[in-house]
Formats: sequence, structure tokens, C-alpha cells
Amino acid sequence: MNIELIFQIAGIGILTSIFHTVLKQAGKEEYSFIATLAGVSIALIMVIQLLADLLTKVKSVFFLS
Amino acid sequence: MEVLQVVGIGLIGTVLAVIVKERNKELAMLVSMVTGLAIFFFALGKISAVMDVLENLATRADINMFYLTTVLKIMGIAYIAEFGAQICRDAQENSTATKIEFAAKVLVMVLALPILVAILESILRLIP
Repeated sequence: MNIELIFQIAGIGILTSIFHTVLKQAGKEEYSFIATLAGVSIALIMVIQLLADLLTKVKSVFFLS
Repeated sequence: MEVLQVVGIGLIGTVLAVIVKERNKELAMLVSMVTGLAIFFFALGKISAVMDVLENLATRADINMFYLTTVLKIMGIAYIAEFGAQICRDAQENSTATKIEFAAKVLVMVLALPILVAILESILRLIP
């Protein structure tokens, strides 16, 4: 089981929220949006790899060709 | 006491998702999704052991493997579809969740159709 991934993604979430706040305070609204988008994409790549693992395992257990 | 591990993972995931949700809704959804994936992986290991026993029993009882694999495939489709639909529902996408469930039901029906045909043919053979 990979519980570390939960902590990693929560960490990414907190970190991007800090970036968002700092960039907003500095008056760079457009960069703050891009920072959030980057955080979501990185987390999504990690989650999708895990999801692919799950689907291959389900396929092998339940004989879904 | 493996249930304690599952409950622990669930509670930790929930707390982290609630913390992240205030600031970033998309990442909170991903956190809850990974929590669900971790628990699902855990359950899948146990299910595979049960499936091995079922397969063994079916081969011993000389049951046609086609029927057993059909039942198992239907179970797999139900598990995956339920998982996806729950994630969609968590993100307040009820319409997508309903469509996933609809498609899963259609796929289950397609898989069950050969069994239905076999039953009907055997009934027709009984009628003189």
C-alpha cells in the first residue's frame, strides 16, 4: 500500500496554496493560477499511475481480458 | 487486525482532504481518490485469495469455467464502476456518476446475455 502518496498530494496542496497566497500578495494573479494548475497536474500524473496499477490488478483478479 | 489499518488510512485521508479542501478543491478530490485507491488495493489482495479458492472449487466440481468467469467479470465491472461513480459523486458530478453506472449496467447485461440464452435453450429442449 502506498499511503505516502496521500501525504505527498496533501503536501502539494498546502504548498500550492502558499504559492497562491504569496503570488497574490505580490500582485501576480496570473502566475498564481498557473502555480495552482501545475500543482494539480503533478498530483494528477501521480494519481493516474496508481489508477492504472489498480485497473491492471482488477483485470487480472476478475478475468477481465 | 487489518481493519484498523484500513480505518487509519481512511481517517488520515479524510483529515488531509478536509485541510486541503479549504484552499484547493481539485487537490482535495485527488487526496480522497488516492485514499480510496489505497483501501481498494488492500481489499483487492483479499478478494484475489477468495477468487483463487472459488476457481479451485469450480474446477473440482467440474463446472463450466465460462459461467464462473462471467460471474467474476460482472463482479469486477461492478467494483470498478462503483469506484468511479463514487469519485464523481464526491466531486459533485452526479450526472457523470449516473452515466457511469448506466454504462456499467449495460455492460453487465451484455455479459449476462449468453447465460440467459443458454437457459432458454435448455428450457426449449425440455419442452417436447
